[in-house]
Order: sequence, then structure tokens, then C-alpha cells
Amino acid sequence: MMKALGSTRLSRRRFLAAGASLAIGAIAAPHVARADDPVLRITGWGGKWGDVMKAEIGPAFESEFKCKLQTDSAFPYLPKLQASSRSAPIYDVLHTNSNEQWAAAEMGLVEPKVDPKLVPNLADVYPYAVSDKIVGVSIFTSAIGLGMRTDKGYGSITSWKELWDAKYNGVRGGYVIPVNSLGQAFLMMCGTLFGKGQTDLDAAYTALEKLKPIKIVDFTGAMEKMLLSGEVGLCVIHDSGIYRYDGQNQPTDFIAPSEGVLSLEQVLTITPGSKVKELANAYVNYMLRPEVQKRLAETVWYSPANRKVKLDAKYDAKLLTTPEKVSKLIQVDWKWYNERKDEIDQRVNRIFRA
Amino acid sequence: MGTSAAHNPSLASDREAASRQAAAPAHAAVGPRHYGRYVYLAINIAILIFLLAPIAVVVVFALNPTPFIQFPPVGVSLRWFEKFFASRDFMHALGFSLEVALFTTVSATILGASAALALARGNLPGARLIVVVMLSPLMLPAILTGLALFQTYVLLDVGRPTWGLVAGHTLVTLPYVVRTTLAVLHNFDLRLEEAARNLGASPARTFFEVTLPLIKPGVLAGAIFAFIVSFDQFPVSLFLVSPGNETLPVTLFNYLKFDLDGTIGAASVVSIVLAFLVVIGLDRTVGLRSYVKL
Repeated sequence: MMKALGSTRLSRRRFLAAGASLAIGAIAAPHVARADDPVLRITGWGGKWGDVMKAEIGPAFESEFKCKLQTDSAFPYLPKLQASSRSAPIYDVLHTNSNEQWAAAEMGLVEPKVDPKLVPNLADVYPYAVSDKIVGVSIFTSAIGLGMRTDKGYGSITSWKELWDAKYNGVRGGYVIPVNSLGQAFLMMCGTLFGKGQTDLDAAYTALEKLKPIKIVDFTGAMEKMLLSGEVGLCVIHDSGIYRYDGQNQPTDFIAPSEGVLSLEQVLTITPGSKVKELANAYVNYMLRPEVQKRLAETVWYSPANRKVKLDAKYDAKLLTTPEKVSKLIQVDWKWYNERKDEIDQRVNRIFRA
Repeated sequence: MGTSAAHNPSLASDREAASRQAAAPAHAAVGPRHYGRYVYLAINIAILIFLLAPIAVVVVFALNPTPFIQFPPVGVSLRWFEKFFASRDFMHALGFSLEVALFTTVSATILGASAALALARGNLPGARLIVVVMLSPLMLPAILTGLALFQTYVLLDVGRPTWGLVAGHTLVTLPYVVRTTLAVLHNFDLRLEEAARNLGASPARTFFEVTLPLIKPGVLAGAIFAFIVSFDQFPVSLFLVSPGNETLPVTLFNYLKFDLDGTIGAASVVSIVLAFLVVIGLDRTVGLRSYVKL
């Protein structure tokens, strides 16, 4: 009995020692891991984008630059970056839509511009990709316009203003503006359509009031499904949300209104505190390479930012691949928008709650 | 004695009349009682429908072959289940969620039961305050708990390790184990332990052979809650999952931002079935039914 008790004491000690070793090991593991190949920590989308990045583009980058690519595809990126230390940020390269990049830049979380000397492919991008409306560089864009059902006999639609036609009451689709980039961009478009310009919020609010009844969703994916199911007949949507069903014989089509299409940019920025800046710049440059741009553009139906990209005919016909097509893009002043976001959110919530 | 109603018609008639008189008020009393039972039954059915209808909608969505929610469904198909089980991301997330839930269940059960014992027995100063503090993760929005833990890990420069995720889940599941164990300890007869000690049992033996079997119902109930809450945990995981190691709820959330098809429904059905299997498994292995009054 005494022997057994003694052995119990010993095993308890062993247990505690093992537990302490494990704890130290677990705490030390990240530091040990850092001793290996450099790690580039980025954010990225899921869906088909994530699939092709994981299967082809990511591994090719790792192989060429002898590094490890660590992709966080779990939202929300900005609060995580905000919560991490400025000198040791959780990401080296931040990939989000333009509105979030502006918010990040305002907080000093990302560098406002990418250096063309370190990213040579910047020389080949369309002007919109590095315009004063962009923080960092836009590597792709989608066109926000109208999505419609082609089997409902709506006829030809050419203008944004047709969304206000009473015949779409009950089948009109829009977004929860405070949480959706498309909804926010559309609000600015309302100012342009019915007022003095993007910043004419009063005109935009009046137009939104008149848009009711409208079915609103928070995710763009949900709008795609509502359009596919016929629950919505005419809605605000980005072209890739329609074109991705190409070849599936769906009765839907994308309309680029005559007033222009809004741009929904995929933007890359580098964090100031990144310890692997050379690698971060190399990644941005890599993502702008024509072959990488072509592969991704033809996978997810995004318009490439690099002018030198030659897409297959099917994609070339629909995406923004010429200076003429690109000139129809309307960029949103996200800096201006973000400064007023709280006020806008409150107002649009009141409009749609009613 | 030998007189019968058949032999005495007038007596029979009197008895029938008396019986009718007696029956009338009885019938009046039974009627409302029956009525009340029907209302009770209807309310229970309504509650069951309220609880189960969302599950039914998820099952319909998972079995409907169209890539969007459609009612009535156009057919029955297993295509979304095939897609779910063929997806490496979903399978990894499912396995990882189970792993985290199991570790969480073990840690929350050991810590929660020990804490409950200490609180109930330890004569600790400020025991009530400690109980409130231990239950506080239930009162705090879980997303804030996740964010706070994330910031703590960042400050400690440990990244987002799996043990950090388990610690986060343990934090939010601990109150369930503490609460359910405290509930059984409330009616615990201390004389049973004293008897064991008087008969020569060591403290350890007393604990394992007397105390633990008696508090087992509360500990098991807490463990089941811990497993289910951890397996379905989203807000805390949102900040604590590391790249390549996402839990199933986080993977589902990311997926539905890009693809809102029946795979979400299929994943939800698998999730519900797994939670159900855990309860059934515990019932079969440790005789849950005899311990836990759920």
C-alpha cells in the first residue's frame, strides 16, 4: 500500500513535470517555428479563390521564394489586425475590399502606397488600380451593376434608375448598407444619380426611401441565390456574382448601366510593422504577374488590374479588359465615406427599419 | 342481499336515476379536465414544432437538389452531403472541431468539477462572489471574450495555438460544469464521506468511490453541455482559430459568404447528428439516463 502510494506521488510529479514541459513546449513552439523558412502571413478569400490559391498559386509562390505562405481566410481581418501589435502585426499583407483598406490606412495599420521600385509590375496596371481612391494597389476589380432575371419579360434595362420602376416592387434586391460594400457603393451611386454627386447624401437617402419595398441581404452570396431562385428579379450585384454561373443555363444576366459601373476592388497593402517586407513586396508583385492574374481572373471572374493580361475570349468579352471598358468604372471615395459611416449607418437603418 | 335490479324493476329504475344524477356532475367535472389536457397537449406540440421546425428546414435545404433555398423542395438528393464529405476543408474542420470539443470537455469537466467542489466545501472567503465570477463568461458577449483572449495571446506573443483555442472554449464552457456540479452538491450528504473516512478510506479513495459517483449526474450533464457548446462555438473561435486550423462553425461562416448552397445544410445536419450521437454514446457507455434528468 505504501509502495503504491509512493509510486502515486512519483507519477504525480512526473505528470506535473510532463505537463510543465508540454506547456513550455506549446508556448515555445511558435518561436521554434519562426526559426524555419520565413513565413508570409496574408489574408485571403474562401470559395473558388481560396481553392486555386491553396492548390496552385500559393504553393508556386512558396516554391519560388523559399517561404511559407500562411493565409487567414477567417473573417474579420481588420479587428484582428487592429488588436495586434503595430510592431509585430498579425498580417504582413492585407487583402480586403477598398473600404476596409481605407479604414486600416486611417488607423495607420497599413502603408498607404506600394513602392513601384519594389513592385515592378505596378508599371503595367490600369490607372484605377493605383488612383487616389486606392490605398495600396488594386489587383482585381469587379463591376457593380444590376443583375436581372431574363425569364420574367422585363425587357431591356439600360439605366440604374430603372431599379426604381414600380414594376419591380416585391422583386427588387439590395443590401444591408452598414455591413456590405456593394450596398455602400450603391448609396454613393444614388447621390450621383439623383443629386449633385457621390457625396450628396440627402439625395441618396431620398432615393433609398423611394426604393422600398426592397428585399435586403447582408451577403452578396445570398443575393446571388435569391436571384437564382427567382425571389428577386432585379438587384444590385457585381458581375462576378452573375458570371460565375456561366455555362449552367441560369436565366440571369448582368447589366452594366449606361451611367457607369461601380468598382469593387480587391486591394493589397503591406503592414508597416511587417518583418518580411521584401517578401511582402514580392508577393504583391507576384499577384500582379500576368499569368497569375489570368489564372485567378478566369477562375473567379474578376477583371485583372494588369493591362498586359490576355484572357480567353469568353472572359475577355465580359470582363473589363480594355482601357475603354475600364473607363466606365466609377470609384468610390471611401475615405470620405468612412469618415461619415456612423451617421450614414444610423440614417439608412432608420430608412429600412421603417 | 339477493335482491337484484333485474328482480325489482322499481329499484333498478331508482338506481339508474341515482346513477344519472351522480354521473351528471362527474361528467361536468371531467369535461374541463379533458379540455385542459388537450390544451396542454396542443401547447406542448406547438413548443416542439417551434423547437424542431428550424431543424426540419435545415434538413429540407440539405436534401433539396437546387443550389438555393426553395420551398416546396423539387426533389431529394444527397449531392450536398457528397460535396460536404468530399471537401478537404470541411473534413479537416469537422475533425478539428471534434478534437477541440473533446479537449475542451475534458479540461472544463476537470476544472469545473474541482472548482465546484472547492466552492461548496472549501469554506472559501467570498465563495458567492467567486461563483458569480466563474459564471461571468455566460454574461459577457462571447465575441468580446474571443477578442480579449486574442489580444492576450498577441501580447504574450504566442500566436494562435490550438491550446489557446481550447483555453478559450474551456472558459466559456466552465460555467456549465460549475453550475450543474454545484446543483448536485447542494443536496450532498456529507455523512457518507465521513463514514468512508471512518472506515479507513484515504481521501483519494473516498473521492473516487464515494464523492465522484454521487456527483456524477451533475458532472456528466456539465460535460455534455461543454462538448456541445464547444463543438458549436463560433464567436470565441472567430478570433482564435489560426490559418489552416479553422473549426467547423468558422469554416461554415466563411463558406456562406461565397457559396450559399445546400452544403451548409448538409454540414448542419451532420453537426446535429454528431451532437445527438454524443448524447446517445454517453447514455450507452455510462448510463446517462439513470443519472441525468434532461
